[in-house]
Amino acid sequence: MPTITLKVNGALHTVEIEEGRVTLLDVLREKLDLTGAKLGCGVGQCGSCTVIMNGEAVTSCTILAKNADSAEILTVEGLSDGYALHPIQEAFIEAGAVQCGFCTPGLIMRTYDLLTKNPDASNEEIVEALNKHLCRCTGYETILEAVKLAQSKMQ
Amino acid sequence: MGLKYVGKAVTRVDALQKVTGTATYIDDVKVPRLLYAKVLRAGIPHAKIFSIETSEAEAMPGVIKVVTGKNCKILFGTCLWDQPPLAVDKVRHAGEAVAVAVAKTRLQAEAALKKIKVKYDPLPFVLDAIEAASKGAPIIHDRNGEYKSVEYVVHPIKGTNIFHHYKLRNGDTDKGFTEADVVVEENFNFPISSHCAIEPHGAVCRFQSDGSIEIWAANQAPFVLRDVLADMFRVPTAKVRVHIPYLGGGFGGKSDICIEPLIAYVASFVPGYAVKLILTRREVFTSSLVGRGMKGRMKIGARRDGTFTALEAEMYFSDGAYGDTSWPVCTVAGHNCTGPYHFPNVATDVYGVYTNSPPVGAFRGYGHPEGQFMVGRLIDMLARKLDMPIWEVMKKNFLSEGKKNALGQTITKSHGDLYQCLDEVKKAVFDTRKPDEDERYFYGRGMAAMMKSPKMATHSSSGCQLKISADGSVFINLAGIEMGQGCLTVFTQMAAEALRVPIEKIRIYQEVDTQFSPWDWQTVASMQTYRGGRAILQACERAIEQLKANAAEAFGCSIQEIEYDGELFHHGDPSRKLSIGQLARGYMFENGLTIGVPVHTTGSYRVQGVIEPDLETGMGNAAGSWTFGCQAAEIRIEKASGKVEVLHFASAFDPGKVVNPQTCRGQVVGGVVQGMGAALMEKIEFKEDGTIKNQNFGPYRIPRIKDIPKKLTVKFVETPNEEGPWSAKPIAEHPIVAVAPTILNAIRDATGVDFNQIPVTADIILKALKEDE
Repeated sequence: MPTITLKVNGALHTVEIEEGRVTLLDVLREKLDLTGAKLGCGVGQCGSCTVIMNGEAVTSCTILAKNADSAEILTVEGLSDGYALHPIQEAFIEAGAVQCGFCTPGLIMRTYDLLTKNPDASNEEIVEALNKHLCRCTGYETILEAVKLAQSKMQ
Repeated sequence: MGLKYVGKAVTRVDALQKVTGTATYIDDVKVPRLLYAKVLRAGIPHAKIFSIETSEAEAMPGVIKVVTGKNCKILFGTCLWDQPPLAVDKVRHAGEAVAVAVAKTRLQAEAALKKIKVKYDPLPFVLDAIEAASKGAPIIHDRNGEYKSVEYVVHPIKGTNIFHHYKLRNGDTDKGFTEADVVVEENFNFPISSHCAIEPHGAVCRFQSDGSIEIWAANQAPFVLRDVLADMFRVPTAKVRVHIPYLGGGFGGKSDICIEPLIAYVASFVPGYAVKLILTRREVFTSSLVGRGMKGRMKIGARRDGTFTALEAEMYFSDGAYGDTSWPVCTVAGHNCTGPYHFPNVATDVYGVYTNSPPVGAFRGYGHPEGQFMVGRLIDMLARKLDMPIWEVMKKNFLSEGKKNALGQTITKSHGDLYQCLDEVKKAVFDTRKPDEDERYFYGRGMAAMMKSPKMATHSSSGCQLKISADGSVFINLAGIEMGQGCLTVFTQMAAEALRVPIEKIRIYQEVDTQFSPWDWQTVASMQTYRGGRAILQACERAIEQLKANAAEAFGCSIQEIEYDGELFHHGDPSRKLSIGQLARGYMFENGLTIGVPVHTTGSYRVQGVIEPDLETGMGNAAGSWTFGCQAAEIRIEKASGKVEVLHFASAFDPGKVVNPQTCRGQVVGGVVQGMGAALMEKIEFKEDGTIKNQNFGPYRIPRIKDIPKKLTVKFVETPNEEGPWSAKPIAEHPIVAVAPTILNAIRDATGVDFNQIPVTADIILKALKEDE
């Protein structure tokens, strides 16, 4: 079975890739037991599977595993050290941006991507980034608040 | 005494797990000896199965078993047993399961599906409910009317596709309409739509040789599921165990039963193994439950002064291939299509019709959005004819103290204050000057009111078990499913309030497990705060009584002499006090002698006096409670594109008491935006061949952040009542109910065009504007 090697949340892993359509999301969830990223649509439309790959936010359900060979990945599990939350995670809690929570890890990683690159992102830039995601519970009001709160926490 | 936790924006107790990715959902569940299932779907809406050839698939690498419906005698259901776990001799919708491959990996199962060969004899199909109910339509179930059913509630018409007819007859509508000065009547369409919880349906099931079944499922109804599986396999419920992890959204799409009978049936062919099935998003669209699907006609009449005289409605629900999950939606649509208004004469006929689409199930609002869409629009049309402001017509007819609803139930003051709800949204939206039409935009405003009463089993209950540990921590076990609505947080607040203990000392069990959890009917109908809350309150009151009894024994006094304020038990003398922890397991003296009893209490609450509607009139005490509300919107429509932008959406509801302002606002805003999706964009569409055209989030558009209102106003009116815990009543589905009529009334105001079919897309508006020119 072919293998790929990738660095996830700072640790190097070599994993076997089964024949067929195996995505980066499958590798994270099924091989590495990192179930924070979620499968919502399988076509990159809902954003629930968003992780950071080589410094860019990607929908991991649309990245074939073989194309993630040698990649560096950050997932929601790697965002905090397990003792203290990342300010984005704190902000999502405080703003009440979490309901069912299924879309939350993807949104948090999108926010990380935006705010690490563009700490002063405008309202329009935030909305543009969040528009890549679907949430069926909140109506987005508190998610927008959370991102703005995270922005102020990170500054 | 002031409230410490109820009414406060307490941080959600499930948030930490959810922001760190450690919350467990169905696809995260792993158990020993796990196999994976993939399902071959019919791809043809109505056909006889001629043959299924599975041998090549069974020889594929990793494949353990291929299961078909051959020789399957099972029909499952709760009130209408009309559905096999997978197709037996014919398929009734294109997403129906025909064969299931079970393999060591998901990809191996998927590869095996390609090798299964099915030959069909196609049959004529029908998707439209009115066509399906007409003479000469292809009959989808030859046995309609012969299936086992609960006869008191399900009323099929033999020889047709109508599997349920609910009729309501209250007063004399002919007389009512002759008394009317103005009558309006229209046809309406509320199409089939998908719940679109972002988590797809899934289940993991293990079947053992002794007939025992253990299932993990993304399901809102663990005890219903347990009972259905036991019934399917003819085993006692003692042999069935259901686990429910966190749900990634439900909205009714995961209530009742859905894919679980299929996976359990498949698991029964590989005893000892656990079989996992997670639907793809496409399968959620084609092969789980869908919602709505109402085509209707409504007529209302009023006197010159705006007083309503009569309402008649006829609704046909295209309920898809099977009817067990949709018949009660029909019934409640018939009850409550009057909205929050008194009509002295009402006649409604609602038909649940088999069609060749996926089965319809519960969907947030449960018949109320479908029915009240009609009345909300007609009142706007009527007000225009009467040349009265819509709010004057609404106020004249609101259900208020002493008025009767369509079922004949009398409304009291404590049921809620619609007038104040209306005033709040009117003030927010209508009491400023409306922008004038400009080169680019039309502007419009609309308003509609709503009511919702839960449709439920008449014995609908919640149970609660409580124990206290030596440090004073309180453990509470009840079976409300956390699917995003925030019931775990609200339960925590209510337990802390009732016991007056620090909130961090309350633990509500999250994973529901039918083996350990007390019985709860199911998490639907916005009932957990209200019904679960009452159960918690009773368990807490009983715990305080037991603690007091232990304290009395310790102090050697009577119970009446013990006072409780959360931490201390006084005995005339405040210096003689004991903590909850000291009394939780009885009281232990210094020498070890222990007296009293360990505190273990239970609580339960059943909705009071609910009965099924009368067989002749359709009336009766079928609603246990009501929540009222009113909504208003200001919109603008871009002339060049027809695009509707919601500038301001205001909602006011009377849920008795808001337990958590942050989560409650979250329910309202989330519901409003879902309702906007229905009003402006969402519709399941079918291709010529009867398969679903829009099977994923690309072609089936649901609201994104750019689609939400520019401004959102949310107000709560809190009318005290004896029903809810601290007066708290249902408020979860409610925000979606009046959104479509509110927005369509605003579109009418902006364009002069009455739209009575949703979604009203930009293209539809543009076309109508051109026709108008």
